[in-house]
Amino acid sequence: MSTTLLPEERPLDSHRRTKSSQSKRYGFFPGCVAKESCKELFNSTMLLADKLGIELIELTAASCCGASVVNDVNGDVARVLNARTYAQAEVLGLDDVITICSTCTGHMRAANKELRENEERMSQANAILGKFGAKYQGNVTVRHLLWLLIDDIGLDRLRSMVVRPLNGLKVAPFYGCHIIRPESVNGWESARNPHSLEDVIEAIGGEAVDYAGKTRCCGFHIQLEKDNVATDMVGQNMRMAQDHGAEAVITPCPLCHLALDGYQQDSAARWGRTDLPTFHLPQLVAFALGVPPEKLGLNKHLIDPRNVMVARELIS
Amino acid sequence: MAKITLDVFRFDEAVDTVPHRDKVEVDIPETTTVLDALEFAKAEVDGSISFRRSCRSAICGSCSMNINGITGLACKTPCNTVMDKNGTVKVDPMPNFQPMKDLVVHMDPFWDKYTRLKPYLQPPDKDEEHATERRVSPEDMKKLVAVANCVMCATCYALCPVVSVDPAFAGPAAIAYAYRFIEDVRDGERKERIAQISEDYLWLCAHCYACSYCPKHVDPNDRIIDVKRSAIAERVMMDERGPRHALIVSKTIKQTGMLAETEVIQGTIGRFNIKGLLKVAPLGLRMLSRGKMPPPFVKPIPKVDEVRTIFESLEVPV
Repeated sequence: MSTTLLPEERPLDSHRRTKSSQSKRYGFFPGCVAKESCKELFNSTMLLADKLGIELIELTAASCCGASVVNDVNGDVARVLNARTYAQAEVLGLDDVITICSTCTGHMRAANKELRENEERMSQANAILGKFGAKYQGNVTVRHLLWLLIDDIGLDRLRSMVVRPLNGLKVAPFYGCHIIRPESVNGWESARNPHSLEDVIEAIGGEAVDYAGKTRCCGFHIQLEKDNVATDMVGQNMRMAQDHGAEAVITPCPLCHLALDGYQQDSAARWGRTDLPTFHLPQLVAFALGVPPEKLGLNKHLIDPRNVMVARELIS
Repeated sequence: MAKITLDVFRFDEAVDTVPHRDKVEVDIPETTTVLDALEFAKAEVDGSISFRRSCRSAICGSCSMNINGITGLACKTPCNTVMDKNGTVKVDPMPNFQPMKDLVVHMDPFWDKYTRLKPYLQPPDKDEEHATERRVSPEDMKKLVAVANCVMCATCYALCPVVSVDPAFAGPAAIAYAYRFIEDVRDGERKERIAQISEDYLWLCAHCYACSYCPKHVDPNDRIIDVKRSAIAERVMMDERGPRHALIVSKTIKQTGMLAETEVIQGTIGRFNIKGLLKVAPLGLRMLSRGKMPPPFVKPIPKVDEVRTIFESLEVPV
């Protein structure tokens, strides 16, 4: 069974810590959903960064990553849009770009890989960027906050920072496809047997629930395509999670969050009631590190997570 | 040599109502493939264990099964890469299929989706006499080689989460095989083929990349994207939600730099599709009650002109 590679074993170019991350300053790419319907994710990320003692500097002029959908229209546009974002990060001296969405992670990394490995594509992008005086040199690394927690902060340090352990709350990890697949693009850990989320859940005092649904798809990208299909995908996965004892779910992806939080009510007809509250990754970590729960936007969730937190005596 | 326990799913549709499991111990080198381990068990321990196999070298595509929760070709999977710490290898039939006997499944739904493709060339002049062969340049052939390697093992179909909840979806293999004919310069039914695969829910692919585990590196995930692009380029079924969604997402990014959620939902369903909008209204209201609605309009990002320049330079049709 393949396991997570140790940091020194990982391919250097795509997961390395760059100069800017050694000074704990990171370029921050929040993505569209954290700025629109999941503002609680954006806010809790910033609060978590404070607790971790790192500086997330938002790339405010960055565009959407392409959200995997733009690719269906044109094969080049998402890559060039991301090249523009990377050029901005380079100008700001922020080569280490941090994301908080699985889909952003996968698609920005895919674009970066193509740009850096294919000269023709890099020069195509730079020819267009040149029209407005920008240039991407190829120095950016894109990583998810989840990987930053493990590589830069470290699980031991994270554990030592916990002031409100989760009292064994049974949390089901839900990765979100694009942070693990395709493995050739992400490759930070095994896509078939990942355990970064489990490691974080345990570091903050929770109990990770193992179930087959954790690496499956939430159906977000086809929610509007055909009635009930995405809803059934949510129901199927949450049924598995609950049958394995989960009291809550944690996800590093706001798209998964929208699907899991929004569609469980509708999936109950076919899959039975699950009502598992879904935490954004930074919400639960920030809570454990002492951020006041009322600042985390828990009241924004359709399935209120505060009930299980009361039951576990995490809040009163 | 190592002691390996095969934990085998047993079921015979002719006599059983529920499946059971048998544990079979075999003494073999731990680098033995799961298929050879099963062959050994069948020859030496229990001759009634049923599974499909032929070539034993990842060419025939017969032996795909679920091995310790991972679906793939048994002939390409050494036991020591999948067994747990007690040396157990759990084998089950492929998910998304009805079991027939032990590891053998009913493949009919999978073949039906191939048959619907007319998986043979339809040259434009097929009824005329031909003095010469139809030539393809090596350059044109390059595009088709990877898909031509498909051995129809159905691993991708078994892994597909959309198939698992909606068997009407064509599935990754059939769409990749449709690509093989859509992009063949000798074929004369490009548009008809795109329309047919669109009707079989091309746009229901969830972008999950589960099919990136193809044992023959066909990468159906990427071919599905190629077929969608061809569908938009050929303007096939443009009123369906799939193409509308792809175009409205692209359009809002071009206009604002951001994916404007509210506009995307309206644009995909149709601003005047009252029935469709009412269907998403309850969720919208639930979100509204939590103060979770995306803004109705998205403020353009700084230097949004640069984004427009990118779209225009690449002649994106939005």
